[in-house]
Amino acid sequence: MRTLIFATAIRILTPVFLVFSIYILLRGHNHPGGGFIGGLIGSIAFVFHTLAHGTKQTNKSYFNLTFYKFDKKPDHGKFRHALRLLRKNIVRNKNEKPVFIWNYYLLRLRPTYLMATGLLVAVFSGSVGLFTGKPFMAAYWLNAKIPLIGSLGTPLLFDTGVYLLVLGMVLKMVFTMSKD
Amino acid sequence: MSANYLLITPLMLPLLGAITCVFLWRHVNLQTIVVACVQLIFIGITGLMLRQVLTEGIQVTHIGGWPAPYGIALVADILTALLLLTTSIAGLAVFMFSHIALDKSRKRFGYFPLFLLLQMGVSGVCLTGDIFNLYVWFEVLLICCFALIALGSKKSQLEGALKYVTINFIASGLLLTGIGVMYALYGALNMAELAQIVRSSHANVKLLALPGVFFLTGFGIKAAIFPLFFWLPASYHAPPIGISAFIAGIISKIGIYTLLRLYSLIFSVEINSAQPLLLILSGLTMAIGVIGAAAQMDFRKILSFHIISQIGYMLMGLAIYTPLAIAGSIFFVIHNMLVKTNLFLVSGVVAHRYRSFSLVRLGGVYLMHPTLSFLFLISALSLAGLPPLSGFWGKLMLAKGGLEAGNYILVGTSLGVSLITLLSMTKIWNEVFWKPRPKRIKNSVRETMSAYTLYFPVFFLLAFILVLGFFAQPVIELSQRSADQLLHSETYIKAVLYD
Repeated sequence: MRTLIFATAIRILTPVFLVFSIYILLRGHNHPGGGFIGGLIGSIAFVFHTLAHGTKQTNKSYFNLTFYKFDKKPDHGKFRHALRLLRKNIVRNKNEKPVFIWNYYLLRLRPTYLMATGLLVAVFSGSVGLFTGKPFMAAYWLNAKIPLIGSLGTPLLFDTGVYLLVLGMVLKMVFTMSKD
Repeated sequence: MSANYLLITPLMLPLLGAITCVFLWRHVNLQTIVVACVQLIFIGITGLMLRQVLTEGIQVTHIGGWPAPYGIALVADILTALLLLTTSIAGLAVFMFSHIALDKSRKRFGYFPLFLLLQMGVSGVCLTGDIFNLYVWFEVLLICCFALIALGSKKSQLEGALKYVTINFIASGLLLTGIGVMYALYGALNMAELAQIVRSSHANVKLLALPGVFFLTGFGIKAAIFPLFFWLPASYHAPPIGISAFIAGIISKIGIYTLLRLYSLIFSVEINSAQPLLLILSGLTMAIGVIGAAAQMDFRKILSFHIISQIGYMLMGLAIYTPLAIAGSIFFVIHNMLVKTNLFLVSGVVAHRYRSFSLVRLGGVYLMHPTLSFLFLISALSLAGLPPLSGFWGKLMLAKGGLEAGNYILVGTSLGVSLITLLSMTKIWNEVFWKPRPKRIKNSVRETMSAYTLYFPVFFLLAFILVLGFFAQPVIELSQRSADQLLHSETYIKAVLYD
């Protein structure tokens, strides 16, 4: 399936899928939608990317945080060095070999951790009700109203947890299957 | 402790433990520490729950703050608390065993999180007060069991897991259909509300047998009742002991728990029509299970067939349906959870030493490890029901209940089956412990420190079995109170719907 058209189209479509999945997640409270469907739609973006470019490339471009690091030049101050590091990390020259890659395992966003984080967020959203003296999962709403999102509360947090869980699970399955 | 906290902790504690284990995916030792903490707190919480249920009556929490018929309620009565306490004790023993004996690769591929999720599923089934929620928790159990049985991907394991999953999917389908029929007939899913409706003059009360058939078949498959038990011995012997001990010791009894709960709460109004069927099924389950065991020559397969036979005893109490018989059933479930887990653990210790489960290849254990033989002997005699061990009291209560109700044939069958159970245990004793070690087997016996530490979980469970046997009175009283509570379902309905 490695066609040029597909590979190019997916580059444009990926942000569309992601934005749409978040839109679905947010409208889920009162309309059809929610964390589960949002997570599925969000994972489509990565699944298509995997189909077009392979697991390795998807992992590299989305689930790996790579930091470039190099030694301080003797005539540069600390501040100037930090600025240079920042610029190097934001504007990357692909052809240039990095001097030293600071690629920590902790910073890797593995699908399994995504799942665990989702579960943890969902459990936490349920426990908020418990801490306020009500039963588990009793909804707790903040007073603040945010345009576009509406009011914030634990149900939204729960849905976010489901979103992450589903996203992580689909990605885990797809990555595992495409490896073989 | 507030019921809100108390009832949610048995669910949240294993879940949080499992999440932590997933975060610590590559650090097996840290996972072990997490699981150990979870098990200890779990025992404490369930003990606390039992105390609170005994002093303050049935505990209820309404999830999300939605009152009972609309939301999902978690309910804990004495039966729930007793079962959860037993489960947590058996869980701690199995954890100790698998910490030492389970191979590294299974631990690295998520044994601990799955084990915790399985425990969460057990708590969920025991605690929920909503019939659809019950089905969902059963699915949690099914998925975790499937993953655990298949973990390691040996050929026999995959075969066992496939059989397990296929038949259990069918059972789940039947359950879901039953729940659908129930909802269509009465428009309710909350168990307390259903109990209230079937006791009222609702137009559809006469049709109660229709969902009843689905539930009996569905949970019958899950609990391995007579014609539907073939999957159990075909799959339980496949995984290593650290997995199969928990599944064999705990999970099949969960089906019996649901039958007890549903029949006392909802189907009790038409128990008269179901009773003959239940009596026949329980007798046949006992007899067929024990006869099936006679043909086996594998340590774990014999024990697996005995699970079926013991399930028959538990069903017998429900079939007789008098307070004493149901109390006997409850006592028997508790006794059997501990004893069966312990026997599986003993078989695991033997296999760890002698590298085999086959009766033909084993032998001479008594000569080399008298302590181990002693440990097996007590558990086996307790399973067979010799006084003063725990199995005796359970069978005594069941037999007395049966005689009082006039079910002489069933009581006769149960006593005969006890005798054959003893015979079957003697067979294991003769083959594994008594006969000389076969000469052509060249396998060396593993004499390491870890093999001795494996005795510890067995001793731990044995202590509880002995206490259950020698100080049976408090537990019998508890099971009688629990049976009373089950039969007086108005208290349950009142606690869930009106408090």
